[in-house]
Parts: sequence; structure tokens; C-alpha cells
Amino acid sequence: MRYFAKLQGQKEAVPVDIEPAGENRFKLTHGGKTFLVDALTLDHGAVSMLVDGTSYSVEFDEQGDEVLVSVRGQVNRIDVADERRLRLRAATAGFSVEGKQLISAPMPGKVVKVLVKQGDEVKEGQGLVVIEAMKMENELKSPKAGKVVELLAKEVTAVEINAKLVVVE
Amino acid sequence: MAKIRKILVANRGEIAVRVMRTCKELGIATVAVYSEADRSALHVRTADQAFLVGPPPSRESYLVQERILEAAKKAGADAIHPGYGFLSENASFVRACEKAGITFIGPPASAMDAMGEKTRARQNMIKAGVPVVPGTAEPIATVEEARAYAEKIGVPVMLKAAGGGGGKGMRKVERMEEFESSWRAAKSEAMNAFGNDAVYIEKYLEKPHHVEIQVFADQYGNTIHLNERECSAQRRHQKVVEETPSPILTPELRAKMGEVAVKAAKAVGYVGAGTVEFLVDVHRNFYFLEMNTRLQVEHPVTEWVTGLDLVAWQIKVAEGEKLPYTEAPTPNGHSIEVRVYAEDPARNFMPSPGRINYLRVPGGPYLRDDSGVFPGYTVPNTYDPMISKLSVWAPTRREAIERARRALTEYVVKGITTNTRYLRAILSHPEFAGGDYDTSFLTREHETLLGKGEDPQLTEAALLASVVYAYQRDQKKAKTLTQAPSEGGKGGISAWRQASRRGR
Repeated sequence: MRYFAKLQGQKEAVPVDIEPAGENRFKLTHGGKTFLVDALTLDHGAVSMLVDGTSYSVEFDEQGDEVLVSVRGQVNRIDVADERRLRLRAATAGFSVEGKQLISAPMPGKVVKVLVKQGDEVKEGQGLVVIEAMKMENELKSPKAGKVVELLAKEVTAVEINAKLVVVE
Repeated sequence: MAKIRKILVANRGEIAVRVMRTCKELGIATVAVYSEADRSALHVRTADQAFLVGPPPSRESYLVQERILEAAKKAGADAIHPGYGFLSENASFVRACEKAGITFIGPPASAMDAMGEKTRARQNMIKAGVPVVPGTAEPIATVEEARAYAEKIGVPVMLKAAGGGGGKGMRKVERMEEFESSWRAAKSEAMNAFGNDAVYIEKYLEKPHHVEIQVFADQYGNTIHLNERECSAQRRHQKVVEETPSPILTPELRAKMGEVAVKAAKAVGYVGAGTVEFLVDVHRNFYFLEMNTRLQVEHPVTEWVTGLDLVAWQIKVAEGEKLPYTEAPTPNGHSIEVRVYAEDPARNFMPSPGRINYLRVPGGPYLRDDSGVFPGYTVPNTYDPMISKLSVWAPTRREAIERARRALTEYVVKGITTNTRYLRAILSHPEFAGGDYDTSFLTREHETLLGKGEDPQLTEAALLASVVYAYQRDQKKAKTLTQAPSEGGKGGISAWRQASRRGR
């Protein structure tokens, strides 16, 4: 079965093929290499993974579509989808910046400034909304050039995580 | 002076817990204050008594002097320790404590006044013969005057808000053509941030190091320094990693800077723990930057190499004891501190408040974790994102770096995102290892520290793990869909997802 994994900060998702190879064992092919992976789920919340004899203690934390994978202190944020999901996400622009883009609150906080109006044309990287959390102001930027088609953010209001703020098309 | 029996700690988070720990070791009772957002905070549980002082915003709780004093009176506290931040450098609060007959554990109000505003501190230091960064001693009234001064000392220059801090109202001018627009921007930012648009000019130093000297003074005029801390690893003027000794200081330079810091403290009649901050240029000239009239976040590294408990000495000095030394103790070994922040470096350091579902703190020899959090604790979005300070000691700098790196690999926090990977990238960077990193290091190496600092083998392992995770999740889901719904419970959840949830 084929999956596509996108590491945060990378534009392209890479294909990884996986086949079961016995109890807790899998054959994975990625980048022209094949790995035999032994993945044992332990009782205390960690997974012990052996890859061709190398031992890794892995911990997972799901955050929305992404999984935070922690290995020896390094945490990678990875978005994994199979082909069907990938097509679905492409339709809603999960893996790309095509189509409608929803900008939502990445953390709970307070909207301190709304920098655009409904109908405004915006450039890629242009600031849309400023949210204050933990005594810091964070500007949320437009992921693409387009038009502000929905504006739900209101100044001096508290917002929860994932609250819908702006839609750019 | 009478012994202190009960101390109210006018702070929260790790520093409140840290102060209370020392109080308990000294047999002193402790009182916490907390806002409505902090009912479940660790400092409330650590204290012997605790009083609610108001709603979550600090200006309505931790910063309201009357409420803090009221709690102190109610509890019968005879002293207040302010920690850092909040009321720690507020001279009017010190006076209010005096009036209420409560000992303020810190310097006298007059010393705070003398060091509070940056331009006043500069003037006082010039008077005391302490070297300051070339610039104007007073705010400048007109743009013409400012321009003429900048032309005289030559660009680059820094425009700085007199009442400033945190990088606000600060502009670097590299070319004279930019001078007027930068002047206007600095003034308007200063007005917005501090309600005061006074701006002064300083010569911009190329690639400076931020090196600060810890000073300590008793009530009898004995003032010593406790060596330096190198704090050049900064982001947006916020320190991220601190170490002592500074890798760029020679014993001669240490002695010289220490002497100047003691002179600065004496000039303002300082008592207690304070820090004199300096910029050191490429030629190893040093200039006074400002004085912090309180205990600092990074004090553990000084404690590691001197063997002193600085909070205990703050209390003893407040009780009227004399300092145990007459000169600086020779630094023993090397110490490094990293600040663990609830933030996501990969998303432009976006704050990450929320519930800590799982927490595994590092252990092992010569390691200390000063933290205000615990598993199950919800980090509120009202306060600073620093959640813990990890510090280590080792005989040499190289070993201290390795120990800190190892400790960070053991740090697991789930539920919120932290900067532990970014901290490891800093410690692994060749410029940091080389020891000659200046205050522009983190900005300059931003991309490298975020991405390329990763170990590609671990990235590959994470990628493989994520695919196995997704595969097992999908297989279980498919199985559940084809089986009777009565299976219920955990039947539809993959072993990997169960593992993830167990960790929460």
C-alpha cells in the first residue's frame, strides 16, 4: 500500500510503500531503499522500533492532520495520507496552496488586530490577523495571493484553537 | 535585624516554586499568590498558604500592589520575594512594602530608581566612570539634532526608546538616508509601547557579545561579583541559552569587568542580588548596557559554578547577614542553561499553550530542571511561554554541551509543542561549539537551526514510523467498519494510536 508523507517545511509529499511482513513487522520502501521495520507497542505509551538492527524509542502525538513523531529528542511534524485521502485533501487544498485557503487560529488567544477587510486583494505572505497569546503578538499570514472572501476575525475578541478567522480564495 | 519567618512570593511559575524550595530548606514558611488562571499551578501546591489575587491578566492580579500586600498581611508574612518580572523592579512597590512594615527581598527603591530608566542609568554610570556604549546620555528632542549626532559618531547607530525594553522602539540605522524614517518609526513605537516617545542614540556595535556580571551586596557596603554569564544566544532580545564561564573571557577581562560591575552597583547603593549587563565588542572592549535590579532567570548557572544558593543569600542579606566572601569565588567547572519554551520554532515560534498530556523530564548526574509544570497541567495563554529551565554542570565546556544535548533528547512533552529540538540544534551548531557566537548568531543561523540542524537518520526513522502509524490506524479502522459495532470500546483503535493516547 502506498502512503504520502510530508515533513513540515517541505513542499512535496514523498511516497512510501508499506507491506506487512509478520507480527509487528513491516517492509517499507522509500527513496529507492527497502527497510524491514519491527514496531512493538509498549505499555507506557512508547513504541519500540527496530530498523535493520537500529533501535529507536518513538512517541506519537496527533495534532489535527499531522502526527508529531518524537525520536531521540528530535520531533518531526509529519502529515501522512494514503492516495484516496491525498486526492481528498488536494480538493480541499490540504497538501497545496491551490483553491480556498482557510486561516484558523493556531492557538487560543485574543485577536488584537485585523489587517484586512472583506474583499481585499492580498499577496502571498501578507499579514491578515494578529493574535496575542502568551504575551506575544503573532501575525498570521496569507498562504497565497488572492481575495479575502470571508472575514470572521473581530478585533479584541478571544478565540479558541482552530477558530475560523479568514478565508482567502 | 530579625529572622524572617514567613515569605510571600509575589510571582508564579518556575521562579515562585524555586524560591519556595529554598525557603523550605531554610525553615521559612511560604505564601503563594495566584490569579484565577493559576488555581491549578504548581506554586500554589508548593506553598504553605495561598491567596487569590484577581483575574488572569497580570495587570489585574500579580501586578496589583494592594492585593499582594493585602495577602501578605492576611497571611502574616514578614517579607516578600518578588522573583523576576511583575513587581520585581518596581520602586513604588518597594516603598509600599516599607510603609506596610514588610521586608522587600531586593535592593532599596533608590537603587531601582537610579537604574530604572535607561538614559538615567547611562548618566549615572558615566558619572561613576563606567564605560557606556558611545551615544547620547539623554533623549534627543529634534530630528535635526539627532541626525547631526548620528553623523558625528557615524552609522550604523541604534535608536532606542528611553523607557524601553523587549526590542520595542528600537531601530538600527545603517545609512543616513534611512535616518528620518527610522527616527519616526522608533518614536511612534515607543509612544505606543511605553506612553513615552523619548528616544536616544547609541553607536551600533558589530557582532557584540552579551556578557553580564552577577553582583551581590550586603547592607554594610560589602559588594562582590560572582563572575559572568554569557547570554549571546538571543532571539528577539530574549535569551535562549546561557552559560558560565563565558568562552570569550580571559581571567584578566573577567577581573576587569567584575571590578566595573561592583563599581556600578556601589555607585547606586545597591543591596542584594543584581546583574550588570555589558556588550563586549570584537576588540574585547566592554560597555555598560543596563542593570537588572533583581534575581535573573539564568541564575542557576552561577549557582552551579559557585556552589552558592543565590535565593538563600538574598534572604540572608535581607535579614542583615554579612556576605560570606570578600572577593569573587573562582568558577568551578562549566554550566549551561537552556530555556524550554511552549512554542513551535517550525511555525515562526508560535506560542503553544494547552494541556500537557505527558511529561518526561530528563535525569542523570549534574542536571537540574527548574520547572513550573507537571503532567496534566494546562499551560495558560495569559503568561510568558517559558515553562522550564534545564541546566547542567560538567568539569569542562565540551562535556557540559554533551550533557545538555543528552538531557534534551530525554525531554518529552506531549500535548503542547516546545522548542527542545531547536535547543539541541543550537547546542549542536559548530559556531556554538566553537564558543565565539555573538548576539546575531540565532538570527543569522535561523534556517540552519530550524531545518538542517536535524539528524537525517532520525528524520528518516520518524518518516517510517509515521507511515507504520498511519497504516495501522487505517487497517484497524477498516477492520472495525467490517465488524459488528458491538465490539466498541478500544476495538477500533490501533495499537499505535492506543500507545499515543496512553501517553496523554
